[in-house]
This record gives sequence, structure tokens and C-alpha cells, in this order.
Amino acid sequence: MKVRGMWTGLLVFFLVCLLAVPSFAQRGVTKDTIKLGLILVKTGPVAALGIPNGNGMVDYMQYLNDQGGVAGRKIEVIWEDDQFEAPKSVAALKKLITRDNVLTVITTGGSQQTIANLENINQYKVPNIPNALMKEFYDPFQPYIFAMGATYEAQYDCIVDYIFNDLKEKNPRIGVVYEKKEYGIKGLEEIKKRAKAYGVDLVSELVLPTGAVDASSQVLGLMNDKVDYVVTCLLLPPTITFLKTAEKYNYWPKNVFGFNWAADDMIVKACGEAAKNFIGVNFVGAWWDESPGIKLARQIAQKYNRTDISLTSLYINGIGVSWLFGEAFKRAGKDLTPDTLKAALETFKGYSTGGVLPPVTYTTKSHEPPEMVKFFKADVANKRLVALTDWRKPKEMK
Amino acid sequence: MASSEKRRLKGSKVVIRSKTFRESYYEDIKLFQTIWIRIWISLFLILLATLPIWGNPYVIYLINLSCIAVVAALGLNLLIGYTGQISLGHAAFIAIGAYTTAILSSKVGLPFWVCLLASGGVAATVGCGLGIPCLRLKGLYLAMATMAFGVVVDFVVITWGKLTGGIRGINVAKVAIFGFPLDSDNKIYYFLLVCTILTILAIKNLVRTRVGRAFIAIRDRDIAAEIMGVDITAYKVMAFTISSFFAGIAGGMYSYTMGYIHPEHFTLLLSVQYLAMIIVGGLGTILGSIFGAVFIVLVPELIKAISRFSALLIPALKGKYDEEWNIAAFGLLIMIFLIFEAGGLYGIWGRIKTSFKNWPYTY
Repeated sequence: MKVRGMWTGLLVFFLVCLLAVPSFAQRGVTKDTIKLGLILVKTGPVAALGIPNGNGMVDYMQYLNDQGGVAGRKIEVIWEDDQFEAPKSVAALKKLITRDNVLTVITTGGSQQTIANLENINQYKVPNIPNALMKEFYDPFQPYIFAMGATYEAQYDCIVDYIFNDLKEKNPRIGVVYEKKEYGIKGLEEIKKRAKAYGVDLVSELVLPTGAVDASSQVLGLMNDKVDYVVTCLLLPPTITFLKTAEKYNYWPKNVFGFNWAADDMIVKACGEAAKNFIGVNFVGAWWDESPGIKLARQIAQKYNRTDISLTSLYINGIGVSWLFGEAFKRAGKDLTPDTLKAALETFKGYSTGGVLPPVTYTTKSHEPPEMVKFFKADVANKRLVALTDWRKPKEMK
Repeated sequence: MASSEKRRLKGSKVVIRSKTFRESYYEDIKLFQTIWIRIWISLFLILLATLPIWGNPYVIYLINLSCIAVVAALGLNLLIGYTGQISLGHAAFIAIGAYTTAILSSKVGLPFWVCLLASGGVAATVGCGLGIPCLRLKGLYLAMATMAFGVVVDFVVITWGKLTGGIRGINVAKVAIFGFPLDSDNKIYYFLLVCTILTILAIKNLVRTRVGRAFIAIRDRDIAAEIMGVDITAYKVMAFTISSFFAGIAGGMYSYTMGYIHPEHFTLLLSVQYLAMIIVGGLGTILGSIFGAVFIVLVPELIKAISRFSALLIPALKGKYDEEWNIAAFGLLIMIFLIFEAGGLYGIWGRIKTSFKNWPYTY
């Protein structure tokens, strides 16, 4: 009798938890709250990238709340952890929209997750800014996806342009070390194409597996091929592995280039001298810039006790994304729905985030990102990256 | 109840059914033993059929995932639970099925039923090919061999980019039945439900036949089975083949549900998850596979729900939930069931049923 009663009670409890459905007249918006969703990795091997990024997004929204909210409404963010897995990201999006009834989801995660969610994004009308830098997200036009940062193609084009135009190389020996992931394969293809446009072939193409703790065979391969410039298509941890291994073998190419996911102060902090010839490109400002937007980012971090931000570039990235949404909420005004939010985002014309992101322009026909990056070099003494250039686009090739 | 039992009790005011006595072999192997089982199943099917009308869309999505998990878990239980052949490569067969469906539907444009059957067929063929060299392996060695197979499949999928899309993944065309696309969770729910019901009936039927008994004999004592005339070679290969067939079907269902597949959807962890489903559900039972599959799919939601309610009672717990709780719960569940409840959820269900059946008596 007791056992039966216990099991019956447990079953009823679980069913109530599962089936309970809140209801709102307008999706995600009441007279005093705006409910947002956020799908970003919080645990697992890529958590080190997701946590500062998500914290940046959440902190900026909290900053807006402390300023009185937007149109009298406070912003609530529900952060779902997808562990960087597409099936979990799909489940999280459905839960946020159908159960939690959020207005929109700030970001649906990385490239793979966003591709998996593409149909749901269009079906549920979810204006979002994914953490994905693929051209496919704005070309062909995706009505609810707003690209934020220079695509991988643009970043690597800028790197190759830098080698030929800024460093004035005529016939450089370029080697590529990449991960067998979407960004790695895209990076390799683009570097090859761009170098070819300058009349040069790559001398080395080496895979460094994700999670590798040693890059000896890659470094020795590059040394053997007498590579002058190494372009890496690696996330931060394998880039650190590569630089440290290169130091171990006393291999000092003229420069080692990295893209946005590796261009962070952490590279210099972790590698020290090993990063002395590292140059990174990024579509966000550096942590120690004196631009108004970056200063605000530092103030926000201090206000919310983010004393130990491992990856500052990702925190700034998060601030930038929420900044765009915050401005869109203001422009949409009292009548805030997914469609008015989308329309508000499409009114951005050269909108400035004070140096956090390059000026942003979205229209009803194009949600292209500002394809601009800055170059940063390692300042080993001060353990940070410092800006080498201002915002620049890839050169128009004939 | 047997007719002789009914005659004896006729005229009594109280009829207590203490057991279901069977008087013939046919009664013993009936799919639905009593009228009440048929009634409850019918009511349950009506509930399932009407769910999209009154259910929350997210719950429908979870049930869709559960249907896929049930089909794959049934296939794995047939191999491990009924035949005693350990496998850590189940995710690889699901991947084969998923990619077969994705390629045939998107690149060739074949109808869904052809793609689904082809998924099962291709996975079964590969399973048969794997079963033959694995005949002499047992226990840990068989587990390692099947795990290695999973690594090989992963490599092939990533490297053969022209066919599979490689690390870019591949989009899957929508299921269309008589020209009507199943373009929402509610519509695809019925498609998945039908596939799941057919799978359950097929496996239930299989285990009550000579083939099913041969599998059980091999699991219990393979040497004795061989002496009795069971062809070990043929039945072991058959077990791998049939298990892989259903894994392939589950892969096809997954492709249509997700609309996009990627090599990282089918990792070793997925194989371990399916192993957990059949252990937690109950090895060697069909209902156990169903319970285990649904339970493992719903565990993250249950933990989230519990953490939400706990946060209302203890505000300090608000915002503390993350996915690692699921991983911890997952590991804990497997340990608890292995140590304390070898029969799994099916064993618990059996005791609950007995308690209701014997009420008001204890025994």
C-alpha cells in the first residue's frame, strides 16, 4: 500500500513537472518583463569558450536592467547549456520557445548548432545572432539570422593580404595548421584560394586534432618544409599547444597567425615567450583598448565581479551581441514582438558599439556582418594582445 | 483466466484472480495475454493518438526522440539482452542508417519508405559483415571490437566528404506521405509512432519464435545450446544482423526528425547511452527497453524540473543547474540499477503490478 502510494505520488509529481505549461498573451513579453533565451555551451570540452561569451551577454542585459530596463521592462535571460552538441541545441530551442515562451533566443550556439536549428529558427521566428561565422548564414539571405562578425573567409583573406601587402612579401612560404572542423576546413580552402590569387601555393597543410596535447609532428613537418608564415585554423587550446611545441623545438617562423577564436589575451598569458611572433585577427576590440565601448565592457565586468575572465575577447563578443539586442529593443519600443524586433535590427545603419564591434548595418534584404577585422600582436611583457591595425576589410582582388 | 478456473468459481460472490493459468501452448505465446492488457493498450494508444491535440509541443518533441530511442534500444536489447553479445558499436549502425536515409532522400530523392528500409538493409548488411569475424569473441574482446568498428565508421563518414558531407554534415529532405510533407513535430510524431509500434510488434513476435528461443539459449549457456542443436554461428550472426537492422531504422527516423545530421551526433557516448537504456530498463525484456529508452531521454528534463522546483523552495539553488548534473545523474543511475535493481525498471514495474494484482493481500 505504502509502496503503491509512493510510486503513484512520484509519477504524479513528475508528470506535473513535465507537463506544466505557462502561458503568455504575447510571446516572451509582459508589461514589465522581456524574457530571452540563450543557447550556449556551459559544460564540456568547449566550456572555456562558452562561459565568458555567455557571461558577457547576460551581464550586458543586467547592466540594462540596472539602468531601468528597456521601455519600462526588465530583461530576464534563460541560459540553456547545449554542451556544443547540435541535438541538445535543437531540444533547447524548442524548450525555450514552446515551454519557456521566450521572445527570442540571443544566440543558438556555434555553426553546427545553428545549421541544425535553421528550420526551427524560421518556423518560430527567432531573430538571433549566432556564434557562427559562416557565409552560409547570410548568403543566401536568412530572414532571422543576423551575422555579427567577419566570416572565416574574410578573416583569412585579411591574413593573406597582410602577408603580401603589409609585410611586403613576394614569395612567402606559407603553411597551414588546421583542425578537421568546419572552421578548419573553410580556413584551409580560403587561404589556399587567396594565396593562389597572389600567385603562390601553400607549401604545407597539416592537421592538428582537437584536444591534441602535443604538436611535435606538425612543428617538425613545418620546419622540414621551411615554412616562413604559419596560418593556424585552430581554437585557442590547440593554438597554445602548437606555440608551446614550436618553442620546444626552437622553431620561430616569421609569424604565426590565428583567427578570432584564438586571438585572445589568454594566448599570451599561457604561452609567454612562445607567443612572441603570434598575430591574431578579431572582429572585436581588445580588452585594453581605450574606446568607449571597451571601457564600458571593463566597467560591467568589474561591476558584476567577473574578476577572472579567462577569455576576454569572448566576453567582449558577448557584450557586443547583447548591445545590439538592447538597442533593437529600444528601437522596437512598447510593441515588442519577434517581427518588430527583427524590423528594429534592420534599421541599423553603420551603428556603432563604441569599438566593441565594427559599425553594424542590417537591412531588410541583407543581414551581412561588417566584414572587418583588426590585427593584434602579442605584447609578452604585459601579457596581452595589442592592436596592430585599425578595422580593415579584405582587399578587392581583380 | 483458464476456463476450468472460471467454472470452479462460478456462483461465488467474490472472484479473486490470483494467477493467469494457461492451458495450451498457444495461450502461453499469445501477444496479449488477457482482455485487460488489450483494453489498457488500446486506451494508451488512444492517448498517444490524441496527444498532439492537447500536448505541449516540447513534450511531443521529447516523445519523438523517445520513439527513436525505443527502436534503437529494442535492437540493442535483442543483441545484448536476449543473445548475450555485448556491443559498444550501436551508434555506428545508427549512423549508417541515418546517413543512408540522408543521402537517398536528399541526393537521390527516393520516397521515405524506400529510404527507411534501405537504412535498415544497409545497416543489417554491415552488421552481418561485422558479426562474422566477431563470432569467436566474447565479453571484453567483443566490446573492444565493436567499439573499434564505431571508430572506423566515424573515420569513413568524416573522410568520405563527397558522399556524407564530412564534417559539414548533411541536410535531410522532409518526409512526404502521399505528397504531404511532415514538416512539423506533430506531423512527424505519427510517422515515428507507427514505426515504433511496428518495431515493438516485430521484436515481440521474434522473441516468442524458435529464433528468439535460440537467442536466449545462446545467452544462457552457449555450449549447452550448441549441444542441443542450436547453430551458434548462424544465430549469432542473425542477432547482429537484426539488431543492426533496427539500429539502421532508428537512424533513418533520426534523420527525418532532426533534418540535419553530423558525424558528432553518433559518438561512443551514444553507444554507452543505449547500453544504459537497456540496463536501466531491464535486460532481456521488451517493456524494459521501452521504459529505459523513455527514461533516459526524459532524465535531463526531470532533473531540470526538479531543480526548478527546488529553486522555488531553496532560492540559493536558482541558476545552479547545468548539463553536468545530467552526466552525474546518468552515471549514478547506471550504478544504482546495476547494484540494487538488476531487473531494472521492468523489475520495479513487475513488483508494482503484483502489488496491485494481489491487493488487498500482500502475497
